[in-house]
Amino acid sequence: MKRLSSRGWLVMFLLTILLLAFLLAAFNFVTDPFGAFGDRFFTWWSYDETNNPRVAKLGYLDRHHGEYDSYILGCSATSSFPTEALNRYFDAKFYNMIVYGADMRDTENFCRYILDNYEAKNIVLNVYLGNGLSYGVEDDPLTLSMPARAEGGSELKYYLRYLFANPKYGAAKLSALRKDTYLQQDFDVFDEKTGAYDKERRDLEHIGGMESYLEAYPVFAQYPWARYDLTETENTMKSVAAIRDMCAEKGVNFVVVTSPLYCDYADYFPREQVEEFYSALAEVTPYWDFSLSSVSRDPRFFYDSTHFRNDAGRMALARMFGDGGVYVPEDFGVYVPRGGGAGHLSAYWDGPELDRAAYTAKVPIILYHDIDRDETAATMNGPWLRGQLTALKEAGYTSVTFNDLYNYVMYGVELPEKPVVITFDDGYASNYELAWPILKELDMKATIFVIGASVGKDTYKDTGVPMNPHFTVEQAREMIASGLISIQSHGYDLHEVEGRDPDPIRQGILRREDETEEEYIKFLRSDAEKMRALLSEMGTEPRVLALPYGYPSELGEAIMAEEGIRSTLTTEPVTNELIKGLPQCLYDMGRYGITSPISPEELINMIEG
Amino acid sequence: MAFTSVSFILFMAAVLALYYLLPGKVQWLLLLAASWGFYLVGGGWTIVYLLLTTLTVYLAGRALGALNSRKRTDKVKGLKKLTVLIAALLCFGLLFVLKYGGYTLRLIGVKGFEPLLPLGISFYIFQSVGYVIDCYRGKHPIEKNPLKLALFTSFFPQMVQGPIGRCHELLPQLTAPRRLNWDSLKYGIQLAMWGYFKKLIIAERAAVIVDTVMAEPSAYPGAVTAAAVFFYCIQLYCDFSGGIDIARGAAEMLGVELAENFRRPFYAVSLADYWRRWHITLGGWMRDYLFYPLTLSKPFIKLGKATRSRIPGKLGKLIPAALATFTVYFVIGIWHGASFRYIVFGLWNGVLITASFLLEGSYAAFRKRLRITDKNLPWRIFRILRTNLLVFVGRYLTRAPGLTAALSMLWATFTGFRLSDLGGVLDLGLAPSDIVITLTAMAAVLALELYQELGGHVRAGLEKRSWFIQWLGILAPLTAILILGILLRGDYIPSAFIYQQY
Repeated sequence: MKRLSSRGWLVMFLLTILLLAFLLAAFNFVTDPFGAFGDRFFTWWSYDETNNPRVAKLGYLDRHHGEYDSYILGCSATSSFPTEALNRYFDAKFYNMIVYGADMRDTENFCRYILDNYEAKNIVLNVYLGNGLSYGVEDDPLTLSMPARAEGGSELKYYLRYLFANPKYGAAKLSALRKDTYLQQDFDVFDEKTGAYDKERRDLEHIGGMESYLEAYPVFAQYPWARYDLTETENTMKSVAAIRDMCAEKGVNFVVVTSPLYCDYADYFPREQVEEFYSALAEVTPYWDFSLSSVSRDPRFFYDSTHFRNDAGRMALARMFGDGGVYVPEDFGVYVPRGGGAGHLSAYWDGPELDRAAYTAKVPIILYHDIDRDETAATMNGPWLRGQLTALKEAGYTSVTFNDLYNYVMYGVELPEKPVVITFDDGYASNYELAWPILKELDMKATIFVIGASVGKDTYKDTGVPMNPHFTVEQAREMIASGLISIQSHGYDLHEVEGRDPDPIRQGILRREDETEEEYIKFLRSDAEKMRALLSEMGTEPRVLALPYGYPSELGEAIMAEEGIRSTLTTEPVTNELIKGLPQCLYDMGRYGITSPISPEELINMIEG
Repeated sequence: MAFTSVSFILFMAAVLALYYLLPGKVQWLLLLAASWGFYLVGGGWTIVYLLLTTLTVYLAGRALGALNSRKRTDKVKGLKKLTVLIAALLCFGLLFVLKYGGYTLRLIGVKGFEPLLPLGISFYIFQSVGYVIDCYRGKHPIEKNPLKLALFTSFFPQMVQGPIGRCHELLPQLTAPRRLNWDSLKYGIQLAMWGYFKKLIIAERAAVIVDTVMAEPSAYPGAVTAAAVFFYCIQLYCDFSGGIDIARGAAEMLGVELAENFRRPFYAVSLADYWRRWHITLGGWMRDYLFYPLTLSKPFIKLGKATRSRIPGKLGKLIPAALATFTVYFVIGIWHGASFRYIVFGLWNGVLITASFLLEGSYAAFRKRLRITDKNLPWRIFRILRTNLLVFVGRYLTRAPGLTAALSMLWATFTGFRLSDLGGVLDLGLAPSDIVITLTAMAAVLALELYQELGGHVRAGLEKRSWFIQWLGILAPLTAILILGILLRGDYIPSAFIYQQY
């Protein structure tokens, strides 16, 4: 065999490099972790957008812009104007074109691209005070750069950059694919359909008292201090004006809003510069200003140091559209006409201290189960119950329903001075026979959480083992009709008992070890469906779920929320703090479980302690 | 422009293409332009120091040239010495001020002098001073063209971390006209690939463990500390020799053969042998420009006579050599940095090497009694392991954050070593799979070096194989570098070459 010459070796070497380069390009093209090539093989836009929203969102829109007719533009805070509310109020189909770290030049480029290439009825522009900090900064070429077709520059270079990008991004995407779950994770933070951040998890977390919130989000307790100057106000406003003119030219409805700011963040900037920023904006366009208000002073309206919550965005839109039903803090949102200056902000700076008590309420919830017929036994029986309920009444408590709590939070309907919620779990016949008459006698309201599969039964469903009897559908209807009793869900078939139900037992809404995430979700949805059917027979619908065993589950509760549940209850013995405007306070509410007879005084001490 | 960056590879490709396209007479000018360009990108304005050094040694060389042609009177000899002394003082003075000035001022209480250490300053200063001394010794003709000399002091592949070249070997190669030689190109590429393999796959991974432990050595048990130093030995070798291989490979592609800097140090049979295999060009420099001049200097000769007559036996003869050995390792220690741990490192090596001189006779007697020769394999393995253990102990001193830290780490290792603690290595930020990759790749390095140690020639051997095997010899390292060096790199931050800082 002829020996390979060094020249031949070098040719082979170069060909091998070309081969590897080709393989690299093919790998990047197929995995397409930034969505630069249309993510043809995975169509996992939420992942791509997380890597680089600038590139991936336009990639997505190029293929899907027919599904939208309106766009909201701006930096990451823009995400919290919910598209669902925008659609309702504008009667349009919105895409939330939020891009993290976007300055107004990026936004102007996006707007131009959208107006040149897609159909648009409305452009809503969110202006964030932080926009005045930077303008036209060059960023990381892979993760923070704009697509060449929107920003100008060489398209060839742009595509080459992504073809020969470090393949670790593509590899990370493949490995994330295996880790993908129903709920959003760090690697897929966007909801590709709406374009907004997927905040399903954060919007279901329990929010209660300030103390626990500061513990969960210590950034608010010790907000990092800094001092910044708004050096780019002028450039920012030039871009706002350019967007305004583009919209006018195309006959597109142009609306400007400003992001709510957390108070400590606003303090980073000298007051004169802040006023100058907002009055410069008014020079360009009229706008709705949500920047500084009582909302700014309560960290619970913020996900983190700079991002306000979807609920604040929902209230902002309600204010803009005069949706009278919805609760909106009085000072939240001012319409600033063109040339209107920034005088309206002095209400924030020079106004009175925030009175948190004015929009919060403390609500204890009491939990009973079966009521013993034996009045001599040392268990919870009729006389004990009557004694405790009477004591509550005498202590000034008024019993309310979960509907009252919801109305307080969502619509600002006031609660009585000392509200209390009385609940019974499982749906025992004794609730009908013993508790209901006492409640009637005292004219008190209560909510009973039935286990769907046990309604009307006195044996365990699969094993036939005897159990304490449960009331029937008919009896439930009778109680509901009295106006004193609400029936809600304790899960249709989520409450299995070891030894009484076949193994493996289901422990509330927790996922069983032997099922996949998909099977689990399917099970929960079918359970919710059965519960809906049962409650509709009783003439009501499931809105509140008393978590079986009190076990909370992020995914389980998310599925239940999607199935219409808007409050969940645990068995943690704490008094709940309700906050107007934040329906999340209705999740994972605590309850005082009364398992053994305690004296009326002890009960009052417990809930007031 | 780091060797490991894409820009360096593109730069190299462009230099190569232009180099072989240009007529032979101006090829060296391209190399000079490329070298200065390379320096400007990496070192910026600090190129001024490089130019000043070059100018100093150029003028010294010219002066020595003029003196060499004069009659060798005592006055001329004196002037020559003075010229060398001035040039050396200027060069080393610059190195001292930039490298130790801040430290020295801090010792006397003055703070705030923290000059930027220019890229590769130690290497070009050693090389430049070597040039002046060789001029003094008349070892090669004086270079009259300042630009050619500038190419010698700044040739880009060796700029950052050596090897330290000698003028009579290097300068003629740099300025000679060259035609494209496919063999050199191939060998150069192969050598550089091997360097990338060691740096990107092994050294960068091992660095994670080392950096984690050395950030807070007292937080780890003795076994973990020992493992970290073990990984440091791997890291340092692969980092430094990898960088040198890339440098030598790049030079070879240009037809220039740079001096060898490593010769399989893990197979050294004694500490002295180790230092002949590790950082060879620095050792050679020290030998030729420090050790020999010292031992041949008048005071040393006098000292030798005095000790021989007063101290009987071997010791008396050895004292001057031992003193010179000590001086060399002391200087090598100090060269690594202004810290007591480096001084102790120098002493550690000096003591052991001197001791081994002294004990040589006893060893020989011992071997004789056991009837083993130096060729006896178990004996040789024992010596290799013993040498590695001594080197390992010495490495505590070069890597620990300070002398006391180094000593307490050593204490922890030798008094509190528990095998059961070794599991802690898994919690140092390097995934188990990466540890396996590091160790497997290192095993491959050692296996290949063993083959060489036994007289094998890897590149020549490969050439005789079929094209397919040769292709695998291209594909395997390239894919390994691409996949293990880049793709499967964890979240750790790629680090610069260690010797770049000296």
